[in-house]
Amino acid sequence: MHQLWLIPGLPLVGFFLLVLGHGRFTRSLARLIGVGSIAIAALITLWVALDFYSPGAAQTYQVELWPWLTAGELEVSFGLYLDGLSLSMLFVVTGVGSLIHWYASGYMWQDPDYQRFFAYMNLFVAAMLMLVLADNLVLLFLGWEGVGVCSFLLIGFWYQDPANGYAARKAFIVTRVGDTAFAIGLFLLYRELGTLDLPSIMVLAPEKFVVGANQPTLIATLLLAGAVGKSAQLPLHIWLPDAMAGPTPVSALIHAATMVTAGVYLIARTHGVFLQAPDVLLAVAFIGLFTLLISGFTALNQTDIKRVLAYSTMSQIGYMFFALGVGAWSESIFHLMTHALFKALLFMTAGSIILALHHEQDIRLMGGLRRQLPVPFWCFVIGSACLVALPPTSGFFSKEAILNASWQLPVYGPWFWAGGVLGAFITAIYSFRLLFLVFFGAEKVQPHEPKGWQFHPPLIILATLSLVAGWFVLPTGDVLPSSPAGHPPMWTIVVAIGLPLLGIGIAYQVYVRHKWQGLRLAHWQRLRQFWFQGFGFDGLYRRLFLTPFTSLAQVNRNDIIDGLPTLLIQLSRFLHRLFSQLQNGQLRAYIATLASAAIIILALAISTVGK
Amino acid sequence: MNWVELASLIPLLLVASISVILLLLIAFARSHKLTCWVTCIGFALAAFWAFSQMGDTPQQVTPLLIIDDFSRLLGAVVLLVSLACAWMAYAYLETADEICEEYYILLSLAALGACVLVSSNHFASMFIGLELMSVSLFAMVGYMAHSKQQVSMTLEAGVKYMVLSGVSSSFLLFGVALIYAYAGTLTIDLKVISGGPHLQSGYLVVGAALMLVGVAFKMSWVPFHMWTPDVYQGAPAPVTGFLAAAVKVAVFAFVMRWLMMAQGEYLNGLLLGLTLMAVLSMIMGNLLALRQSNLKRLLGYSSIAHMGYLIVTLAATAPDGAAALSTALEGAAIYLITYACMTMLAFAVISQLAAKDRRFESGTLMDYEGLLFQQPLLAGSLILAMLALAGMPLTAGFIGKYYLVLVAVDSQLWMLLGLLVLGSSLGLYYYLRVILVLCKPPVSDHHWVLGTNEKLLLMLLMLATLWLGIYPTPLIEWVQFAIA
Repeated sequence: MHQLWLIPGLPLVGFFLLVLGHGRFTRSLARLIGVGSIAIAALITLWVALDFYSPGAAQTYQVELWPWLTAGELEVSFGLYLDGLSLSMLFVVTGVGSLIHWYASGYMWQDPDYQRFFAYMNLFVAAMLMLVLADNLVLLFLGWEGVGVCSFLLIGFWYQDPANGYAARKAFIVTRVGDTAFAIGLFLLYRELGTLDLPSIMVLAPEKFVVGANQPTLIATLLLAGAVGKSAQLPLHIWLPDAMAGPTPVSALIHAATMVTAGVYLIARTHGVFLQAPDVLLAVAFIGLFTLLISGFTALNQTDIKRVLAYSTMSQIGYMFFALGVGAWSESIFHLMTHALFKALLFMTAGSIILALHHEQDIRLMGGLRRQLPVPFWCFVIGSACLVALPPTSGFFSKEAILNASWQLPVYGPWFWAGGVLGAFITAIYSFRLLFLVFFGAEKVQPHEPKGWQFHPPLIILATLSLVAGWFVLPTGDVLPSSPAGHPPMWTIVVAIGLPLLGIGIAYQVYVRHKWQGLRLAHWQRLRQFWFQGFGFDGLYRRLFLTPFTSLAQVNRNDIIDGLPTLLIQLSRFLHRLFSQLQNGQLRAYIATLASAAIIILALAISTVGK
Repeated sequence: MNWVELASLIPLLLVASISVILLLLIAFARSHKLTCWVTCIGFALAAFWAFSQMGDTPQQVTPLLIIDDFSRLLGAVVLLVSLACAWMAYAYLETADEICEEYYILLSLAALGACVLVSSNHFASMFIGLELMSVSLFAMVGYMAHSKQQVSMTLEAGVKYMVLSGVSSSFLLFGVALIYAYAGTLTIDLKVISGGPHLQSGYLVVGAALMLVGVAFKMSWVPFHMWTPDVYQGAPAPVTGFLAAAVKVAVFAFVMRWLMMAQGEYLNGLLLGLTLMAVLSMIMGNLLALRQSNLKRLLGYSSIAHMGYLIVTLAATAPDGAAALSTALEGAAIYLITYACMTMLAFAVISQLAAKDRRFESGTLMDYEGLLFQQPLLAGSLILAMLALAGMPLTAGFIGKYYLVLVAVDSQLWMLLGLLVLGSSLGLYYYLRVILVLCKPPVSDHHWVLGTNEKLLLMLLMLATLWLGIYPTPLIEWVQFAIA
């Protein structure tokens, strides 16, 4: 396990090489460095995992690389920490990450900024690995901000188009709201516990905090705000659909598989604090539930292939939050892993379609692609089946586990379960609507399928993994609290399997056989518009924050505060002119001044006599 | 008077003998170079002697003079300033169409007066010292009267200084008379009066107030400052340097001895007047300097402001006497020394420039444009002087101002402190403006070669300004030693 530092180190070295050699490397060399660094990191992850699983090995490994900050009581180090949870995340980040890099090396081949793209991607992976491996929350925060910056850089990768820059800024600023709360949460945590070391927090939090008391509740709320911002959950979810402005591999890596799940990782990592704040945990469940429903409804009538997938990502992360909230900790991380696999698969397949159609993303202009693009078609089918949780794909195992756990929650259990199942039903409709619109029906365009070793192999590997990942066992059992024991009644499982099938059936009737047209949203224009706009959150925030802010800026156009210093300058100049006129050079005036001033000094002195 | 007392007077005797030797020398042979050398060596010897005597027991020489560490240290400072004034005058007078040698006689007499003032603890010696200094200065200010180069200003300045100085001295003398009428003695140490002084007495208060008028005139405290810009501008640059540095140091040294040593009790009556003068000086000095275009006039206004800051140390001793006395004395002495150092640097630059082209002292700042690229040493020295006057860290000016702030905070003089800060920020404007002008693209040709002596003077003064700013510990130790 001593090679652990190499895992974030290699992508960082790759980043520096690519940046320092900017414009001097050939494309092949840039590809070798960019993809190679991640691939080797993935191999080292395997090596570390072998160590980890070897009999008798310690289940945690902590190493301090070097001290970072030392100020009084506060000591922060560059330290790495490996346990079952971070190992699971390592698999996702390096494994899925290297497949996406592999794919991206072909996808971006024509781009003039090939090397810059891989520099950013490597920096992103390095930051993400830092986030996952950090042994203290300050270093985690460094990685957290690092992935935020890379997300900003990569959303705006094609910066020549102002719309992309706008999307990048939106993503950065909206997540900043959460990050600020996160930072304040860290300060509070340090004040209460005196340490930000993760293993110590896990020990100290149950000792020092009373369950349900104010401090843990406040801290957990602030940490949750950070997680909500990063993971695009309500109410800070509005940036993710716009983030699709970045290149498709970026959407696959950052905005589906890894970065957006950092919020889930944060909550799982600090579960010691969250367990002391049951109210906040309940809020986590509600946030997840509402997000998964709202984004599901929104996905129903999107027309951009990537936006559909973006809303489905939000919805699936909603399931993860939901799982955390109902106490299904390991299941949440399990769903994180399976979702990373099948969502990366879906995004990369979408990327292949977009490339084949010359950067066309509107699904209304697609159709009948199943014959021309067989490999993407079958990959998309597998990905959609996982997303809809059809047995026996990996998505089925992870989602079933979450729904089962939610049923057993006291009081709210059945309601939560019903919400989750409703979400699964909607998921089935929108995923297969997408599938049918793109691959079935009349052929509208003539695609040029990108071929080569960079396109099909990663897709096929991911598709295989998505199918079989349900049988994987993640080593999170020792780290995270165990989920509620017991089994829900049999009929709940039947319903949970049956409703998605019903959803697929409806989608088939409506979009392939063109029956039941009364169900089409086109008949309810206002509702359609409302859902299309993501329940109007963008407009709400514009009215709540943007408009007042810009109108204030408009009012303060001439910088009112600046008037004060200007006034001071004017006053100084005025007094300067005034006094200068007294300095007229005439001796008689000078003597008169001297004499009258002497009288004043005398008067002031005499006034003190006798006091 | 015994030999020990006589030995302690050696610096004064040396300075006095310079003037006698020069008179004789001129009678036999006029040589500018020789005259200047004799003067400089005399000042250097006297300063060295005064400084080397530090630590010896204080000597009361006759009732008139006291030679203690305080007068030795500040006497040495006055003598060093005089040395610089003689040094910088050589190039200045060499290019002037005016006889040069008498300047050094007048300078040594003025320096003698300043030394007497620093050492006096008796009103008689104070008055003699003050008048010796002032009368010599009348002639020095108007020294270039016959020169065709700048006739109008210099004579006017000399006459103005003479008349106004006479008026203020009459106030001073009247004040001394009133105090004598009450105390029956001219010694400034009123503790010798049997039963102690009755400080509520009208005689004492009015006498002290009238004396303050005389002192305030010499210190250019507003509203007694009116002469300052005219005289600073009209006088030859080396004389302005003496006016700005030596006179202020000597007069304030006497004020410190007079007001502070009397346990600060005099001050209670004068505090209101002093505070008023401090407020006005800080504000008006800086405001008047704001858009001033003549550099010497600008430095005149700047010296008004700086002397206004200095009142903080006087006001600090007033409320509860001896408590803050040592800090205030220390702050005042350090401020005076650092101020003398950086002012001399500024005037040394102006003298050197005026020696080449008289427009540099009579003209506007426009003549300085681009000097940095043609005369880097001169312009660099001026930049350093301006930064020091503005109170930038790592220069002497910062240490001086730091001590004033320290004194003000110690004595909780919040209003004066606020004005000090405000004044300093206003000051930045015109000091930086001078630097800005120096860095502009050149407009006229200033490619002349500076003599070795001139370069050496500038470098020594720059070194002192930087050294006091970077490593002020020796200075602070000397001052603490001198006032202990």
